[in-house]
Formats: sequence, structure tokens, C-alpha cells
Amino acid sequence: MDYPLIVDLFFVLLSVLAVVSGWRVFCTDSMVRASFFLLVSFIAVGLIMILLAAQYLGVAMFFMMAVEMMVMALFMVMFMMNPAGLNPMMMVHQHRFAIVAGAVSFVVLAAVALLAEFPDSPLPADLDPVTSLGNELLGDSMLIFESAGIVLLTTMIGVVVLSSHRGRFGAAEEGSMPPGLAPGGEPAGMPKESDEGGGHHHHHCH
Amino acid sequence: MIVNELILPVILVTVVLVVGAYLVAVIDEAIAGALGLPRAANAWMAPLARGAWLLTQQANATEAPDWRAWRLAPALYLALAAIGLAVVPFSPTLIPTDLVTGVVLWGSIEALATVVIFLHGWSANTLLSLIGAYRYVALGLSYILISMFVLIGVALPAESLQFSQVVASQAELWNVIRQPLGLPLFLIVGLGVTFWGPLNLADSRDLAGGTASAISGPPRLVWNLARSAMLVAFSGAAASAFLGGWLGPWLPGPVWMLLKMLAVLAVLLLIGRLVPRVQPERCVTLMWVVLLPLSFVDLIWAGVEALW
Amino acid sequence: MTLTTLLLLAAALIGIGVYGALSQQSFVMLMMGLELILNGVMLAAVAFWALSGAGVPEGQLLTIVVMAVMAIEMAMGFALVVAVFRTNQADVTEGITELKH
Repeated sequence: MDYPLIVDLFFVLLSVLAVVSGWRVFCTDSMVRASFFLLVSFIAVGLIMILLAAQYLGVAMFFMMAVEMMVMALFMVMFMMNPAGLNPMMMVHQHRFAIVAGAVSFVVLAAVALLAEFPDSPLPADLDPVTSLGNELLGDSMLIFESAGIVLLTTMIGVVVLSSHRGRFGAAEEGSMPPGLAPGGEPAGMPKESDEGGGHHHHHCH
Repeated sequence: MIVNELILPVILVTVVLVVGAYLVAVIDEAIAGALGLPRAANAWMAPLARGAWLLTQQANATEAPDWRAWRLAPALYLALAAIGLAVVPFSPTLIPTDLVTGVVLWGSIEALATVVIFLHGWSANTLLSLIGAYRYVALGLSYILISMFVLIGVALPAESLQFSQVVASQAELWNVIRQPLGLPLFLIVGLGVTFWGPLNLADSRDLAGGTASAISGPPRLVWNLARSAMLVAFSGAAASAFLGGWLGPWLPGPVWMLLKMLAVLAVLLLIGRLVPRVQPERCVTLMWVVLLPLSFVDLIWAGVEALW
Repeated sequence: MTLTTLLLLAAALIGIGVYGALSQQSFVMLMMGLELILNGVMLAAVAFWALSGAGVPEGQLLTIVVMAVMAIEMAMGFALVVAVFRTNQADVTEGITELKH
């Protein structure tokens, strides 16, 4: 299927944006910035989907990912160190293995893309993608769609159980302490002996 | 073809946004005058004078801000307003972009606005603007769901996610009557997305200006312009989703549309002047406990009505 | 924009995602790697739907299912982060060494 030149041009720009921002996620200093780089990558892919005539999926990508990345940025600031990115940050393990694994998976998938023969059957001209998706979701594939809904409900229950205040080990606040500045170090910003906050003062891992 | 599909829509959206943002300032001054509040001597000239003054001022700097994000955030917010207005139809033929998923796009604009406003407060690297940013996230994550349900309710009778179809479906009865809960809830969403008046939690006075507390000069001008422009874009969406858009007797369609947008703007600005700002924590409770169930009711109402 | 170039882009996104998921210590950054993989998967699904599948609706359905998977992954991931943080004060994967043995 041949697209007009302007579509090809936008595709090149958007794919460069998607790859570059996806790569920047893992080499920026601030975790808030990292989550918004990921959002940019998602938006670029969503725009490519719109170029491919999947108008609903592309736009759905925007709002799904905007909310997800917002929540992600919030969690970053809540739990992680260095949200503002004022210090250099490189928190990696098994770095060389990860680079090799990433490169290998790219090469294998790229080889599939380049060498495999895929049928060439573009969208029929009279197809309305949004209507077709809607009919599929609430028609033939309703069971799949509804089970996705049930799984989401189950997830919500599981998430509340996992993160609720009172669990098997007592109240959640008990023993809750900020992480150390160094791995396994004393909790940051906590006085040595405090009257409130329950017994466990030296709860950090060794 | 290029003229019709690219240049004309861009000019239309730009003109409506700029003139609309100016009118927002003028109407706000006029309302302040009518309520006996302190106001500028000349409501027509005051916004222009303030804009020109801001343009000549120096842009402020803080200690180690995230420069790119800080400078980009006001521009991105303005761009979101322009994208939002671009899917609003002015007549059956005069539509900047007749996207088939325009209603969903409005939902994503509200979600992306949360990101942009958070970024604006976070990147300044100052305390008060960061608090404003967090408050806005709490507000934003609460109103997005309400907005989604209300907009789905509007799309149901139209059997389409396209704004032009939504307007066409109101030929017999406007959605403001057909779904009485819809417009009030959507107006609250509009106050949220522009953090205006009672829902001004991000840039409020108790935070010395919140996310905008550290900006001055041209960036501040862009930020203020973007907020007003978002209000204009929102009034376009509200007018076409609930007030029948271009539909109306005697006058041509675009004139009706502009009149309805002005009416929505006037109501929003009046609410902004009359209702005091709600407390952030109370606001979140209100959103999740009262308004979200009301939006369920609105959606069920719309569904039952569509099946009738 | 051909099927091959779209799949190459998807492969690049998946490759970066695999690198991120394997290399990052922080839980949330690890999840970002997983999300990037799913980003590539969704793009590939839409590309096949548009250029090779003659627009069968199941292609779009697959993308919706992947979006749901993403939401589930995020929610479960954050719940686990909260749980681990509460018991171990750990925000990096090395913090839960007791899972090793």
C-alpha cells in the first residue's frame, strides 16, 4: 500500500521521536523526566497508529498513557531518590548482559521483519475502523472484552489487598521508614531515638 | 485542497483562540465591575496593557530549574487548547478537523493537561509551585473520570464519537435538557481543566501563585494566555456537546456557535467570581464521593434514554 | 511507511524495553522497560492489522487487550512496590534478596 509523501515524512519524524525518547528514558537523571520521556514515546506511537487509520486506538493511547505516566511520575517522587534530577543517576545491574539482550532481541525481531514474507493485504477502502472495533468488542469478542474487565476488577481487589494499611504483619505504618542514603544505611532524615513510630528502629536490611 | 484542509483551519482556530482569550479577560473585568469588586479603569484596554507590560518584562529564573520543561510547559498547554478547539465544529461544513474520535480526543486533552500543568509546577524547582503541581494532579486524576462518563453520555444518543455527529443528534432536543446532569458536571470539569475560580488549586493565592509563582515576563504571558485559551476551547466543546452547537433559528450556524460559546464563558467566569475556592482535600472527596457517582447516574440516564 | 519499517520501529522499541527491564535496579524504571516492550507490541499489532490483515477487527481487539494488560501491570507493579517498601524500605530490586533462595 502506498502512502502519500507527507505521511512518510511524518512517519520518519515520529519514529525517530519514539525511539530517541524511548532510549532517553533510561539515561536521564530524573525519574520524573524519565516517565515523561516514556509518555512522549507513547504519543509518537499513538500518532503513527492514527496515520495507520486506527483512529480510536491512537487517541485512546494518548489518554491511557497520559494518566499512567502521571501516576508513574507520582510514584517516582514518592518512593525513589533524586526526583528532581539534580544529581547524575545511573542505577543499573547486569548492565552488559542487558545491553546484549536488548541488541539480540532487536536483531532477531528485525531479521523477522526483513526476511519473513507477510501477506500484503491493506485495509479495505470502505472499512470504518472505529465502528468495526466497536462491533467486535460488543459482538463476537464480547467474552474476551468482558473477561478483560473482570481481570481488571480482580486486579483492583488484589492491589487494595496488597497495599492496604492493615495487612498480615500489622499496621502498615509500623516499621515504615525512609530508605537510607546509602544502600542498607541508616534511614535518611530520621532521629536516632524517637518516641513515636513504634519499636522497629533498625529495620533496614543487612 | 491545502488551503481548505490546512491553512483555513489553522487561521480559524488561531483567531478564535486569541480573540476568545482577550474576551475572557474583558468579560472577567466586566463581571468584577458589576459585582463591585476592584477592577481596571478600562475593561477593554486593561488586558492589552497588561499583556504588553508582561512582554517587556524580564523572564525570571530560579535555582536549577528544568529549563526545557519549564519553558515548554506554557506553550504545550496553549497547544493543547488549540488541539481541543480544532475538533469543535462551527457549522456542518466549517469544521477545522472532523476527527471521528473527537470526543475521545477531548478526554485525552484533559489527561495531557494534567501532565503539562504538573510539569510546569515541578520544573520550576521551587516549593510553592511544586505544591501547586501536586494539588493539580490530585484534582486532575479526579475530574478525568467524571469528564469521560459525561462525554460518553453525550456520544450515546449520537451513536458516534464525532463532535459533528454529536451536534447533529441534538436537532430535536439539546443535550442540556435531554441529560440534565451532563452540563453542570461538564462545567465543573471545565473549571478543573483550566483551574479557574473555585477549582483554582494549582495557581491559588494561598500558594502565592502556585505553579505560576516563579514565572514572570513572556512565559507568564503565555501561561495566562494558555489558561484563557483553554477556557475558550472548553466552552467550544461544552457548547457543541450540550447546547446544540451550530443549531438555531434565523442566524447562521457559526454565529450561533460563537454566541453559545460566549454564554458558556460568561457562566464559567461568573462562577469563578462568585464561588469561593474549595479546599484541596475537600475537593477530592467531593469529586470521588459525590460527583463521580452523579456522573454514573448521568451515564445510566443517557443509556436508558437512548434505549427508549 | 511500509510493514517492514513499522516492524523495525517496533523491534527497536522492544529492544530498548528489554534493555531497560533487565538493567534497571529501581522497580519503577523496570516497569518502564516492560511498558516500552508493550508499546512495540501494540505498534506491531496495529501495523499487521492495517497492512497485512485486511483490517480484521481482531487486530484492533488485540491492541485493546494489550492496553488492559498494561494497566494491570502498572497497578500490580505499584501495589508490589508499596508492599515491598512497607516491609523492607526497599525501592530497588536488590532490596528483596530473600526471594533469591
